[in-house]
Amino acid sequence: MLKVYGLFLVSGLAVGSLYALGGIGLVILRRSTGVLNFAYGAIAAVSAMMCWQVLQWGAPGPIAWGIAILVGVTLSVFYGRLLAPSLAWREPAVKAVATLGYTLILLGMVGVIWDDSPRKLVLPTDKEGVWILGVRVTVTRLIAFGSSIFVVFAMIQFLDRTRIGLNMRALADNRDHSALLGIPVIKVETMAWTISGALAGFTGLMFGDLVRLDPTVITFMVIPATAAAICGRLTSLPWTLIGGLSIGVLEAMLTLYKPLAPLRAMTPFIVAGCVILWMQAGQRLTFAAEE
Amino acid sequence: MKNLTKLLSVSALLAATYITTPAYAEDAPVCGMNSGQAATGDPIKVGGINGNAPPGDFSGGTDAAAAYFACVNANGGINGRPIEYIVENDQWNPELAGQVGTKLVKDEGVVALVGNGSVVSMAVNAKLYKDEGVMAMASACAISDCYENSNIVSTNQGPLPSGIGALKYAVEELGTEHAACIGFNIPNNGGWACDWMNKYMESKGKKGTSILMDPTAVDLNSVYLQALAEGVDTILLMLPSGPAIGLLKVAEEQGGRDQFKWVSPTPIYEPGVEKVIGDYWDGHLYVNIELAQFDSKGADNKNWVAVMNKYGKEGDRRDTFSQSGFISAKFFTDALLKLDAASIDRASVTKAIKGIVGAKSDLLCGAYYVGEADRHMPNHAGRMMVYKNGGFETVRDCYDIDTAYLDPIRAQEKALGITK
Amino acid sequence: MPLRFDIKNTFTLVLVLAVIVLFPLLLSSLWVKVVTSALIFSLAALGVSVVFAQLGLINLSQIALVGVGGWVLLRLNYATELPFTVMLVLGGIVTASIGALLALPALRMRGLYLALVTLMAAGAFQILFNAFQFPNGGEGFWGVAQQSAGVVRRPAFAQSDANYLRYVISAVAICITVVGLHRYAAPGRAWAMTRQSEANAMAAGVNVTFYKLWAFALSGCVAGIAGGLLAGALQQLDARSFLAGDSILLFALAIVGGVYHWLGAIIAGLLFKLLPALLNDFGLSADIAMVIFGAALLHAIMTAPQGIAGQLIGAISSIGKKGSATDD
Repeated sequence: MLKVYGLFLVSGLAVGSLYALGGIGLVILRRSTGVLNFAYGAIAAVSAMMCWQVLQWGAPGPIAWGIAILVGVTLSVFYGRLLAPSLAWREPAVKAVATLGYTLILLGMVGVIWDDSPRKLVLPTDKEGVWILGVRVTVTRLIAFGSSIFVVFAMIQFLDRTRIGLNMRALADNRDHSALLGIPVIKVETMAWTISGALAGFTGLMFGDLVRLDPTVITFMVIPATAAAICGRLTSLPWTLIGGLSIGVLEAMLTLYKPLAPLRAMTPFIVAGCVILWMQAGQRLTFAAEE
Repeated sequence: MKNLTKLLSVSALLAATYITTPAYAEDAPVCGMNSGQAATGDPIKVGGINGNAPPGDFSGGTDAAAAYFACVNANGGINGRPIEYIVENDQWNPELAGQVGTKLVKDEGVVALVGNGSVVSMAVNAKLYKDEGVMAMASACAISDCYENSNIVSTNQGPLPSGIGALKYAVEELGTEHAACIGFNIPNNGGWACDWMNKYMESKGKKGTSILMDPTAVDLNSVYLQALAEGVDTILLMLPSGPAIGLLKVAEEQGGRDQFKWVSPTPIYEPGVEKVIGDYWDGHLYVNIELAQFDSKGADNKNWVAVMNKYGKEGDRRDTFSQSGFISAKFFTDALLKLDAASIDRASVTKAIKGIVGAKSDLLCGAYYVGEADRHMPNHAGRMMVYKNGGFETVRDCYDIDTAYLDPIRAQEKALGITK
Repeated sequence: MPLRFDIKNTFTLVLVLAVIVLFPLLLSSLWVKVVTSALIFSLAALGVSVVFAQLGLINLSQIALVGVGGWVLLRLNYATELPFTVMLVLGGIVTASIGALLALPALRMRGLYLALVTLMAAGAFQILFNAFQFPNGGEGFWGVAQQSAGVVRRPAFAQSDANYLRYVISAVAICITVVGLHRYAAPGRAWAMTRQSEANAMAAGVNVTFYKLWAFALSGCVAGIAGGLLAGALQQLDARSFLAGDSILLFALAIVGGVYHWLGAIIAGLLFKLLPALLNDFGLSADIAMVIFGAALLHAIMTAPQGIAGQLIGAISSIGKKGSATDD
């Protein structure tokens, strides 16, 4: 029986790292710019499809992956520089729902460009793998897992050690004061859109390879990824990582309990709901001035 | 931005050329009266509803019907009257399905619907069709509602017969004792089909287990591991091709090819899919198909190719649904040609469609019929293919299935004199 | 604009009656159905607008609540012999309590966090609806059988689609009035004070908790009624109508329509259901329609913070002002 648990633990960590990657990209952007980007999934979807397309044209793998990330950055910065500024003074929720418009544009364009045919995104790392607790884990899955940890670690170092990281933290704390202090807001924000876009491209690549190359599925993975971000209160990267991984593991483990197995996909929402309730369990006052 | 658009359109073009199906040596298309004269009379309005939006493009049926009707119109029409074929897309949206159904049936006053390829609209509009006395000769269906209504008759089999067909082969040829039916957790789709799979397995003294998942589920790995934990020896992929391929990929990762026998109903038999599955599965993936092989040398199949080449539009899908839409349109045209052109209205067309009994085609294994009944499922015998050498090869030609689900259908066939 | 029987209100009443009688006559069967849908979702948008305009609280689960209301109506339809309007009201009440339940977290948070709680609820409901579907006349609690849907009763005088549209217009008009009256009664004053400062409202003796829950219950109630009306219109419901993404979309459209006036909710409903139907009827592919829709949404959110209704009313009142200026 222990072996079976091990099986689902390893499988769950693999999926959890995908949720975590999505959540991390959302949190990085949200901290520095105040935008919760629902178009994150759509950007990931376009990136994955472009990668597939470039591979179809016969380009070598590394170029295709590079293009996926480049597409992610381009689409993210395009929104961040051209569209987001006109919403800068609106409520955070309005900023968030506006990205839904961008989502629809991107998803519609994907539908116009690529017809609905079966596709598969294959990375060379799919062929190699190691056996862990009775599950074969491909190198791609190890990369997804490793990079989610690496990104959290690297971002923390980046925010702590670099000038632009410091600026990002300042912007996250108070936007108006930062501007007064002469922090180059636009430059810092563009940086955040770039990092988040690159992560979206990478997440799309991983989703397309490990889950399936279906633009709609990748687009709407943003909702469970938001659940992971909620576990990190939309600010903490390590907690987002932990949230994403635990959602993945719990979801996989539920497979073993037959009555709930078909409803496993609810796990992200239940976990996020519990985290929010727990987060505010200590608060008593209703004076909720800021969100 | 302009360059990007240019780049994207070039890529779209390349993608399109990449998936075009090979052209077969062909004869001229044969349609309707085959007179070579364009029909000029008063048009007969015929409708069709497809679902083309995420999660899938089910427009093959209406595309093929449109091509066939264009060919009929160029060849004398229905005794001189052309068919005006009005196609609507319900975008997999139940409300839109109800709206376009009403538009066709009430506002446009179509005499019948042909080639329908919408899952959603079948459930939503079944009652409308019945109330308005209009028949729907569907061709791309995947839910119980398509097969359990008086005014809907679908030419494709849907997941139930095709899935049981696949299981029958697995039990008889592959030695299956315990099969897992992996499907979507939707009552009238995965739930319906997998329930009947399990009943079938029980009736053979074997075991069946349903593994249902939410359509948005991300974690296919756990679905695979669940099958492993259940201790099954066969996996039936009761899924659309996208998730089915995703699951095959996970199984490949886990080295699962030899741990299970792999069988699937029709969805995975789709042009282009053979390039996606991969060599790993060579000789290990068995697929039941509902209509003839795409490269079949049968007269109707060759005619399907010829009609699509001449009258189809660029980007028309040439899948099972397309074959199914083609043959539905042909049976419909043949039935109408027997009517007096002046007397064609909804009532006479409905009667003519219900009067179709024992129509034959090499695209179908059995005879096609409609008749007066509260449910219809004329097509339930299929063929079995195996994935081999980057394509599909036939391993068993036409065979019928045995399931209690077909009891009322068998009774109809007996009453109509199709079987004894 | 307190509700008195002055000329303006009488005019509105006459206008509504005229619409009820005449409007369905002008439409073909297709557009009767489309307008019915659009108005039903206007009602849902009205609920979203109320909590956002009055309390600044964001509800991203409204479409899921519409589904709940629809589920209750279908369940009652097959289990009881109650008349349609009674079932509709009961559906509203049940959904109101679920809406209030969702609002419990709202007592201590607002803004994005609250929005996300409701979004998580919408995500969970989407999966529940998929798994259990909507009652169609089967046995047991879930009432789902492998069969085509049975008959959903409609009010005796609203059997045809055109009369059903009249029924929907009336229901929407009544709900708009009831919601509008709130602004001039105790809840409206309590909401206004709470929005200004919760501390001051509490100090003034306003039961902030109660009135916040009340707002969400009201919003849920209209969502529930909308769900019931939708079930009656389609004669059945499908899980595909209640996606989490659509809840976000409805909120966005409520903003675009304008949350400070009931007209905004009507516009939101029309954008949500009429615009896609129009684009589809023009023969645009679903993908291109999605691009146009997304671009329009983005553009409207960026350029019209008061919403389209705000702009319309602003334009009308400025014309009115010009007119009265010449009178002086």
